[in-house]
Amino acid sequence: MASLFSIFIGMALINNFILSRFLGLCPFFGVSKKLGNAVSMGVAVTLVMFLASVVTWVIHDYILVPFEAEYMQIVIYILVIASLVQIVEMTIKRTNLSLYNSLGIYLPLITTNCAVLGVTLINTQETYSLVESMVSSIGGGVGFIIVLSIMSGIRERLDLADAPEAMKGLPIAFITAMLLSITFFGFGGIV
Amino acid sequence: MNIILALTGIACALGILIFIASKVLPEESDDVKKTEDVSAALPGMNCGACGYPGCFAYAQALTADPSIISSNPCPVAIQNPDRIKAIEAALNITIDSAAMAQKAVVHCSGNSQTIFTNSGTSSCKAAALRLSGYRTCPFACLGFGDCVEVCPQNAISINPDKNVAFIDWDGCVGCGLCISECPQNIIELIPANTKIAHLCSYTPLKNIPGRIRCDSGCTHCKKCFRACEYNAIIWNTEKLIPEFNPDKCTLCLKCIEACPTNCLALTVQKEDAGVS
Repeated sequence: MASLFSIFIGMALINNFILSRFLGLCPFFGVSKKLGNAVSMGVAVTLVMFLASVVTWVIHDYILVPFEAEYMQIVIYILVIASLVQIVEMTIKRTNLSLYNSLGIYLPLITTNCAVLGVTLINTQETYSLVESMVSSIGGGVGFIIVLSIMSGIRERLDLADAPEAMKGLPIAFITAMLLSITFFGFGGIV
Repeated sequence: MNIILALTGIACALGILIFIASKVLPEESDDVKKTEDVSAALPGMNCGACGYPGCFAYAQALTADPSIISSNPCPVAIQNPDRIKAIEAALNITIDSAAMAQKAVVHCSGNSQTIFTNSGTSSCKAAALRLSGYRTCPFACLGFGDCVEVCPQNAISINPDKNVAFIDWDGCVGCGLCISECPQNIIELIPANTKIAHLCSYTPLKNIPGRIRCDSGCTHCKKCFRACEYNAIIWNTEKLIPEFNPDKCTLCLKCIEACPTNCLALTVQKEDAGVS
């Protein structure tokens, strides 16, 4: 139980995907303009991460390892993630059209979101069990949601702030991301 | 061998999963299908001429209110009969395309003399800041190609001899992006079936006739207006320039012959226009 908790905290805060591993940066800057959209994006990514790590764990342990075909893991993982994103996209499109429109291009781009591929590859690399993989993927997703909502909350206010002309928009967002990243290094020794 | 079968099996299983999901999930609403049909009929080059952020947003607006097609038509789609048909079928409306299709024309022949060398940044906007450009005529095309840069169809070229922009009507789709780009305001959208264009935008300043500013400047003599036997030329009394009614024009070319300063020109090749 203690190891599960440390995996969760490790993925969510210490080795946060965005701020420590620098993965999944395109939705981080693309969808972090409004809090509502950012949280929905985070939930969609978390869902894909969770499903992908379950499916890839099964495929890795019961197909790739027995057949000694671990060298195919990136290809197979991408295939799994792409299909899952297709299903999630279809679900969102048919149930909540306005959410689908506001997520825009970033929804199909979850396919190539390196955070999703990252979590499955890290699970394989650390030889996590099925439960541990699930916890680590949820941890990664929660970390993603936390950072995305912090960033969008800041950016909503940043739009109103009196930034120097050359810094308005994306430049000041990059600086904010840098400061956030430094704060997250503070979680370094907690587990 | 087994691994090939196993991996193929995984791919097939995922494919079947997507198929099942598409059947189980609730159907898309009619509006979504309509929007997708309309967006497939739009050019998809996201030029922004309609004012919407991209073709898909325009398709959504059209689905919500089909009357937008007449008040704010997609300038590119209405020049293509296939696209019009597809939009008509998707929205169940009829579109009067002939009245709406437009193409851009540069109102300058580039014959105005150069009075000083522009050695600064090679952009029309920078050059226009100093004495309205380096030419005698303050309404002359500066030929640095600001419009060339924005044209999504690469239909604009600069004539190197005269340093004047030329818009190829085979390529022009009438999006109008070049109009706001031109610091001299000499590009204009005219109906796509217009056959003769007026290549001067000189407006009399302090009663200095255009002739003094440019060898082929419009002198506002009205000779073309009088030469036309078919009432195809309407004299614009405000700007003192001729305007052309494409429906009445028979391409007799008498106006072009009559013009003492050669500031009228065919917009298309003579062969294409049906003139021998």
